[in-house]
Amino acid sequence: MLFPTLAFGLFFVAVYILNWLTRPHPLVWRVTILGASLFFYAWWNWRFVFLLMWAVLSNWYAGTQIERSLRSDNIQGARNWLLTAIVGDLLILGVFKYYDFFALELSNLLGANTTLPLLELTLPVGISFFTFQAMSYVIDLKRDLVKPMPFLDFAVYLSFFPQLVAGPIVRASEMAPQITHRPDPRRVQSAEAFHLILRGLFKKVVISSWLASNLVDGVFANPDDHSGHDVLLGIYGYAIQIYADFSGYTDIAIGVALLLGFRFPTNFDCPYRALSLRDFWKRWHITLSSWLRDYLYIPLGGNRGRNVETCRNLLITMILGGLWHGSTWNFVVWGLIHGVALVVERLLPTGNLHPVLRWFVTFHVICFAWVFFRAESFSNALDVLTAVVAFSGDDQVSSLPVLLLILVAVGTQFISKARTEQFSRWRDQHSALTQGVMFGIGLVLIDLFGPEGVAPFIYFQF
Amino acid sequence: MRKTPGSPIEHPTGIAAGRVLIGGLAGLTLAVCLNASSLLDEAKRLPDSASRSASLAVWTPLEAAASALKLTWPRELGERLLGRTQDDPPITLLREQTAVTNEIDSGQTELIVESVQKETGSDLSSLPMTNTPPELAWDENNPLKIWVLGDSMVQFFGETFVSMAEQSPVVDGTSEPRLSSGLSRPDYFDWPARVAQVMNEYDPDVVVLMFGGNDAQNIRVADTQWLERFSPPWVNEYRRRVGFVMDIAAEDEQRTVLWIGQPPMRGEGFDTRMQLLNEMYQIEADARNSVHYIDLRSLFTDASGEYSRYLPDANGKLVDVRLSDGVHLSHWGGEWLSELLLSEISRFGDLGDLWGQ
Repeated sequence: MLFPTLAFGLFFVAVYILNWLTRPHPLVWRVTILGASLFFYAWWNWRFVFLLMWAVLSNWYAGTQIERSLRSDNIQGARNWLLTAIVGDLLILGVFKYYDFFALELSNLLGANTTLPLLELTLPVGISFFTFQAMSYVIDLKRDLVKPMPFLDFAVYLSFFPQLVAGPIVRASEMAPQITHRPDPRRVQSAEAFHLILRGLFKKVVISSWLASNLVDGVFANPDDHSGHDVLLGIYGYAIQIYADFSGYTDIAIGVALLLGFRFPTNFDCPYRALSLRDFWKRWHITLSSWLRDYLYIPLGGNRGRNVETCRNLLITMILGGLWHGSTWNFVVWGLIHGVALVVERLLPTGNLHPVLRWFVTFHVICFAWVFFRAESFSNALDVLTAVVAFSGDDQVSSLPVLLLILVAVGTQFISKARTEQFSRWRDQHSALTQGVMFGIGLVLIDLFGPEGVAPFIYFQF
Repeated sequence: MRKTPGSPIEHPTGIAAGRVLIGGLAGLTLAVCLNASSLLDEAKRLPDSASRSASLAVWTPLEAAASALKLTWPRELGERLLGRTQDDPPITLLREQTAVTNEIDSGQTELIVESVQKETGSDLSSLPMTNTPPELAWDENNPLKIWVLGDSMVQFFGETFVSMAEQSPVVDGTSEPRLSSGLSRPDYFDWPARVAQVMNEYDPDVVVLMFGGNDAQNIRVADTQWLERFSPPWVNEYRRRVGFVMDIAAEDEQRTVLWIGQPPMRGEGFDTRMQLLNEMYQIEADARNSVHYIDLRSLFTDASGEYSRYLPDANGKLVDVRLSDGVHLSHWGGEWLSELLLSEISRFGDLGDLWGQ
């Protein structure tokens, strides 16, 4: 069930009513929200509901055992249960997401006569998100950063439909109190929620889809046929497209959760205004980058050791972060580029450079890496990069609207906090009816400007 | 103050949930009324099914009421301001629009038409045809014109094919995919009319056609009459449509027309239906001298003759030739098909080593 569809609209109205009606009754509410979330997930493929429930059951059980071991001072037992849970989660991820990739590479390495069996499984939507959330729960339990959750609470947390398929990756420590403590039904943050939903829909349905159809898909499909200007615009266009697509989804998810009385963490903070790669990763997919920092980079040693060890940790973290997005070499290269750039930044501090130059370099390193993220293959990525400087092909898409859209999209990243707060104050003063009417008109305008049909969000495949 | 479980979390601002519901429903109702024409159009575009009937039952009276109250004019005005007319289809997504639905009972997948552009049939008799013989010597001023037309399958290899074909400086290729389209639903996209238009306006030397992925569905022959898929009347009508498109493309006998059959599909039921369509394509192509049927089954099956996502290339290296949906071709699959097409075009078009083959 995609957010920008009528089916989701109807589903959500029903869930909204049930949510607030049942909220005073904890058990009924939990069962209702869990049922709604499983229904939402089953809409794609009901078979994978069993996989989701397995992740819920196994991690919850491991969590109870970790807690029990810790209470009886059995540290080794807690470690063993944590290891079991993590291996189980990685096994799920490995089988569905990575097995074929590695089996294929290994088969090709061993030669034509040795073919490992390939599973050819369909990738369950959102698997990378819910397994990472599950891992964060058991690790945080072991670290005593979160209290064990009752089964139903944990099931609601892991399957909660607004963030189930494409994040943000919400930690148990952020969700558990919101599940336990009933939000005030007299204080629904509707103005902010409607605004976020409309903003997300606009980013996804209008900007992302328009750029994909009119610029990016054509350039990446046949870079040789486009001029250098076109290809460069295509690369910039993809940077905007993926930001609009993913942050659009996050906006909608946060807005939908707000209407149900939940506040998710911020996942994007104007990433294209970053003045360094380090700054970028504090602004882009914040819940993933902080997950990687807390559960991978720091356990690897973080920046506590020598410079060379810190650089190694950065590279490992970013390469695995790339691989998290998908089982292709292109994602590995994407992660590697970010890792190398972070290492270079660490070794050659750029703080003395003019901010405009720092922004320019950072933005172009990010765009360079996006080429590998978007391209169908490594050779396709090289074709795209070569086409930028080949000075061949015809101008097909270089037009004022395309250029303006890209400039405006980048420009919006620099809107000051004071301006947004001013807008928030104006937004929040309207009555529910006015908000609803503005929301309705916004939906019509988005539908009017958007293309026919709705493409799935890019991050669904991860 | 410390919160106890079950006590409400207070926010400094906000509106009561009931009021938000009323406001939200008012907004949604307004949106539905303003968008009633668009919603009705979308319902009409659905495949013949219970959901189509239900959608029509809901949106038809609503659209009538909204029109009577003049609530649909803002949208119409917007369409006009954007320069769209009834005959001018809205922009369609070029990627990933095709829906893959689960067949509950068999577990197989099938593509369906998600949306259509207009509810009008075509008047093919009024479309002029070209009879201009093509030039036989190609150069950069007079390139070999190749057009690839079809459904979403074309999307996944068309641009790759054009890119490979245009490695010869005397070739000018164009790929035109229309997602979710086919020959079963001319009310969605009128392929015969479009093919005739391309033949007339561009007079291509080679035409590559690929349809079928969305065609295993009921065919509407009148406002309320539907032919059940694969019933004898359906087969007759579908073959007539296939033959008609072939005739349009092959009217110029100098033109090389390639009709690509469907590759094997992962879903058993879907694969069976595609094989039935392939048989019809082959029969119709065999009945015409300048139409050549390209069988993809042998190209995309493993040693046991079954569908496989991963197949060995010429060097024995396994590559993924299909997407995870079990239907479309991957980038590599697109390259394989493109190589086959270039070879077949050279052979049937007697073009020699245009691509160094």
